[in-house]
Order: sequence, then C-alpha cells, then structure tokens
Amino acid sequence: MGKLWLGNVSDIADGQAKGFDPNHSGSDTFFIVRQGNELFAYVDICPHYNDTSLPWKRHHYLDSASAHIVCAAHGALFEIDNGDCVQGPCKGQKLSKIPLEVSSQQEIWISLTTIKEFNL
Amino acid sequence: MNIIGPDKLIFGVDDVAACKQFALDYGLVTKDEQNYVSLDGTGIEILHKDDASLPAPLPSGSMLRKTIYGVADQAALDAITAELSKDREVKTLADGSIEALDDLGFVLGFQVTIRQTLDLPAETINAPGAAPQRGVNLTGVSKDFTAKPRSLSHVVYFVPDIEKAEAFYAERLGFVTTDRFTGTGPFMRPAGTLDHHTLFFLKTPPFMQGVEHFTFHMSGPTEVSQAGYALVEKGYQSFWGPGRHIFGSNWFWYFKSPFGCNIEYDADMDLHDDSWEAREALPGADNSQVFLLQSREKWAPGGPPGKP
Repeated sequence: MGKLWLGNVSDIADGQAKGFDPNHSGSDTFFIVRQGNELFAYVDICPHYNDTSLPWKRHHYLDSASAHIVCAAHGALFEIDNGDCVQGPCKGQKLSKIPLEVSSQQEIWISLTTIKEFNL
Repeated sequence: MNIIGPDKLIFGVDDVAACKQFALDYGLVTKDEQNYVSLDGTGIEILHKDDASLPAPLPSGSMLRKTIYGVADQAALDAITAELSKDREVKTLADGSIEALDDLGFVLGFQVTIRQTLDLPAETINAPGAAPQRGVNLTGVSKDFTAKPRSLSHVVYFVPDIEKAEAFYAERLGFVTTDRFTGTGPFMRPAGTLDHHTLFFLKTPPFMQGVEHFTFHMSGPTEVSQAGYALVEKGYQSFWGPGRHIFGSNWFWYFKSPFGCNIEYDADMDLHDDSWEAREALPGADNSQVFLLQSREKWAPGGPPGKP
C-alpha cells in the first residue's frame, strides 16, 4: 500500500505542531504535535461545528505552554495525547486521531489509505 | 440610561505577545503597553490571564474578563449606579468608573465615554442615477492600504439563559431588541446609539458561557475586504466571510484569533430608532447572510507568457 513521506521527526520542534496539506487544497487538513519523541496527529477540524479548522495562524495549534491543543475560534482546549476536549464549546467530544508511521530513521509517513479514509 | 456602546473590552489571555501582534495587524493602534485602540479611542486591553488586576474569569475560562460601556455623562453613570445598587454590589473604581456583574455573571464596567467624535467620510461609490459620491478623477481604491478600524462595534456572548440576559439589559440598562433569531438570541442596542446592535446573544449550554466574537466598524465593504485580505496575507486564518448579514445589513469577515474568540471586521450597519419593530427569523445559514464569499489568493486570467 502506498504511503506519503511527511518529513522527519526533527522537522517538528519538541512541544510544537505542524499542519499538512497533502492534496494541496490551500488549507491544512491535518496536523502533528510532537512531545519528546512521540507524535500525535489529528484531523484539522474542530468538533464544535465539525467543519472549521483550529489554528488562528498556520501551525499555531498549541497554547503558550504547549500543554493543550487549542481551537482559536472559541478557545476550546484538547488533550494532546488523546484529543479529548477538556474546555470550550465541544467539551466531552474529541479530535479525530489519525495513524502515522515513524521509521527507524525517524521518517514520518502517512498511508494513502489514511489520507483517503480521513479525506485529508 | 444613556449608554452609548462598548468603550473597551478587557482580555486576560494566554499568549500576550501573539494577541498584541494580532491587534496591530488587525489595524488597532498602540495607546500604551496594554491598550490598543481604534480611531475613536475605543478598543481592547490585553493582559496576561494571571494578571492580578483582572476580575475573576468565568467558569468556562473565557478570556473576556470585562466589558466597559461608555455612557453620555456623569448623570447617566449615577443613574446606572442607582439602578444596579438595588440588588447587587456596585464598585466605584479609582478612575471614577463603576463595576458590577450582570445577571449572567459577566463583569461590566461603565464610564463617561472616552469615545471621540469622528469626522471622516465613509467609503464612497458612484452609481448611475445617483449623484456621484466621489468626484471626477478621484480613484476608489489603492494597493497602498492600511486598515483603520474606526470604532468598537459590538460584542457577542454565549449565554445559557437568553431570556434572563435580554431582560437584564432591557429592564435594567435600557437596551432595545432590534431583531431576534428564534431560540438563539436577540440583537440589542443601548439607548445612546442607533446602531442595529452593540450586543448579541447566542444560547449555549452553561459550560460555554463567554465571548463568541467582537468587532470594529470599518469605513465600508471595500475596507472590510481589503483589511481581511491583508490579514490572510499575513497568515491569519479566516473563520467566516467575507459576506453580508441580513439582520443589521452589516458586511462581515470573521477571523480566528489567539483571544479565544473570533474577531470580526464589520461595515455599513443599519441604524434604527424606537419606531423600529423587531423582526424574528429562524437561525441558520440562509437567514444569517445574503451571500457568503471565500477568499482565495490573488489570481488573474492568463497563462504563461505567450498565451493570451
């Protein structure tokens, strides 16, 4: 099954996030958060309205302490490791988590099946 | 109750530097270290969420900590003090303003307004059949552009009880309902302005109570569009717009922001007086706007060189 290379783990600083637009739609469709050597990837759609994206500026998905993912429309906060909304309009709902592959060379890959399945 | 409109919104934010940069890129001007203002002096104050001078936050964690209304004169301020003192604490602060909670728990301030009278032309248009608004040889637009928000227009709250909210602002502060979305909330204006609304409510569960968006008036639809496009070019992300609302007729363009709420540009809002009869409509996309556009990167027809 085909897969798409997204870069290396070192491309995302620890405690930072990065958005991706694999189909060149003009807006990022998913994002990855790095915590240490762990990566967490979510569809860039806030569950509040379920059709709007999160950041106020490209790649700005986290609060200043890098403790939570933030939706900049109404300030919803999400847990980085599981996507649970803990504060804001969509409290109790969650971001849609997507699987990634990280190779032994620290390359980040996403399968084309995942891109299709999540309409990324 | 001669309340004119919002003078200032005070925020306690997570990322102070990002919010200050947003305020400048939006077009507000630095008044002092934490105050950013529009042309008539109305504006926003940006403090860190842990700043000891801020009123306590709402349980929702909303970053809006206080809404300060401008009133016509000291007599109006005294009248509000007398009215609200009937059933709640009204503090008088060192600057002479007063502070009290509304019935939903939002912190309100009232002061003799700092809003300066503006004497500026609106955006002008020429149309067949009408006298030209712009003289001969005067051009309408320029790429040389700086957004100049004119005046703090309105604030929108998420509230769990719209009936309670509407009753408080109508009965205690003299606001008038101009229009309403059934079951969602009323658009309200205070007695001292003809603007269609300076306040709007959206009914939500209690855990959402807070600010939904706020906005400043611009000179017209071209400035809304050009200011919004300039924000997009700086990397800011649109939430909704540009488009034109039906209730209020105001042009709009909303952006996500680091203030934990959307921030809008608006222009050309309807004016109403007490003879206006409030309309009511069902909420939803069709009744929210007459049209909705979507920004895209500047483009022009024409292929590579040699292809006309």
